[in-house]
Amino acid sequence: MSSFGMNTSAVARLEWRRLIVRPLAWVLAAVTLAWLAWNFTLLMGAFLASQMQRAALPDSPGFTDLVAVPLLAQLVQLGFLVVPLLTMSVIAGERRNGTLPLLFAAGVTASRIVLGKYLAVLGWLLLWLLLTLAMPLALAHLTNLDWGKLAAATLGLVLMLASLASLGIACSAFASHPAIAAAAALVITLALWSVNLGAQMAGINGGTINWLAMSSHLQPMLHGLVSTTDIVWFVLLIVVSLTLATRRLSAERERG
Amino acid sequence: MTANTLSSAPVLQLDRLTRRRAGRRAVESLNLQLQRGQVLGLLGVNGAGKSTTLSMIAGALRPDSGSIQLNGKDFLEYPELASRLIGWLPERAPLWPELTVCEHLDAHGRLRGFKAKALRDARTAIIERLELQPLAHRLAGVLSQGQRQRLGLACALLHRPALLVLDEPANALDPVQVAALRSVIREQAASGTAVILSTHLLTEVTAVCDRVAILHEGSLRHDGLVLGDDHAALERTFFDIAMHGNASTARAA
Repeated sequence: MSSFGMNTSAVARLEWRRLIVRPLAWVLAAVTLAWLAWNFTLLMGAFLASQMQRAALPDSPGFTDLVAVPLLAQLVQLGFLVVPLLTMSVIAGERRNGTLPLLFAAGVTASRIVLGKYLAVLGWLLLWLLLTLAMPLALAHLTNLDWGKLAAATLGLVLMLASLASLGIACSAFASHPAIAAAAALVITLALWSVNLGAQMAGINGGTINWLAMSSHLQPMLHGLVSTTDIVWFVLLIVVSLTLATRRLSAERERG
Repeated sequence: MTANTLSSAPVLQLDRLTRRRAGRRAVESLNLQLQRGQVLGLLGVNGAGKSTTLSMIAGALRPDSGSIQLNGKDFLEYPELASRLIGWLPERAPLWPELTVCEHLDAHGRLRGFKAKALRDARTAIIERLELQPLAHRLAGVLSQGQRQRLGLACALLHRPALLVLDEPANALDPVQVAALRSVIREQAASGTAVILSTHLLTEVTAVCDRVAILHEGSLRHDGLVLGDDHAALERTFFDIAMHGNASTARAA
């Protein structure tokens, strides 16, 4: 393995270890998964109750539209809160502990620190998504799952969680205190999500303001439509956020 | 590369090292050289620039100008040299409170590119050497200050560095632990490791150092050998520099 890969994986393992021994990560996982499981049973109840009515309709929505995708949409909302809480200490906490210079002194560059920490957080979030997906997938053999639509929605979720994680890490790199990082990440996420709200209310469905909004790139994927433009938007957000975090850490090393 | 690597170049060579901090010159045109097996005591009052100098040597802080050579190689050009050649114990040993002693050593080993078997061996050896066995599975967050220092020292020594940089290592240690620390420093020097020891305690310098450098307002005011245990001469030199900015005594001893 190259020194880049070795350093990055060492930082990722260190961050992963720190994540899983902190009660916060477990509490977040337990509370959110319990909430999602409860919502899953409610969605299932509604799905079963409407089965007779839907049987009479041609092309009526199925299990994927009525249970799986709405469940993933709930995960999106939880992600707004969970990701900033998970990422707030990633760099701001290291700074407060005084351990950031130890990583620099071990010859780890700012980009490797940021990437390693990002991969660890992403690992936790993907596991969280996988456990949520396990609920509808457990019934896959009893229902007619629309695999294409579910795959598109999952891809959208992966991209969204990856974007939120990169934003959270950037906020953690800039903030002096983890709580400030969490608040900043939450505000920026909500602003990015709803930046086009006014335009939508005025009936404008195109233009730059709509392109800027995260919701206008995620919603099509939740409905099974994957476009390169939407993927590029998320990738751009991830790259910009991680670059900003890296530049901030490099400047910190320069400035001391 | 370990301390036993033979090289004719000095382990450390600082050339006109300069660094500004908070709008003032924290270190100014510092020239210093350190050979294998030498123990250099770095003295100075608070704010003299000791910690800034050590942070730059350890690679945690970039100098504004000047150069740092490690075993003849430009450290600023090859910052990855830090992971192999330098062991650094910063003041108040920063640790990850949620990790155990063993996990700290594992993390430091992995950051320095240790393979699993080599890491296991190095960890076992350093735990035994610093008598950390009873603490091995204890969280760093619950360790006493002295135990934290020992863990910090273990992390710094894990990869058998060619240069050991210790910033106030005797802080918060009891007399027994101070004696143990001195023995570790002597042992490292005997095996060829160069050691820089920053301290406020003149007794520490006379007890373990071969050389003493005194910093004042960011610049080097004295660099000489420590001969015997002439504590009084060192004290005079130190106070002359601290009070008047220069040494009337030519040598520390």
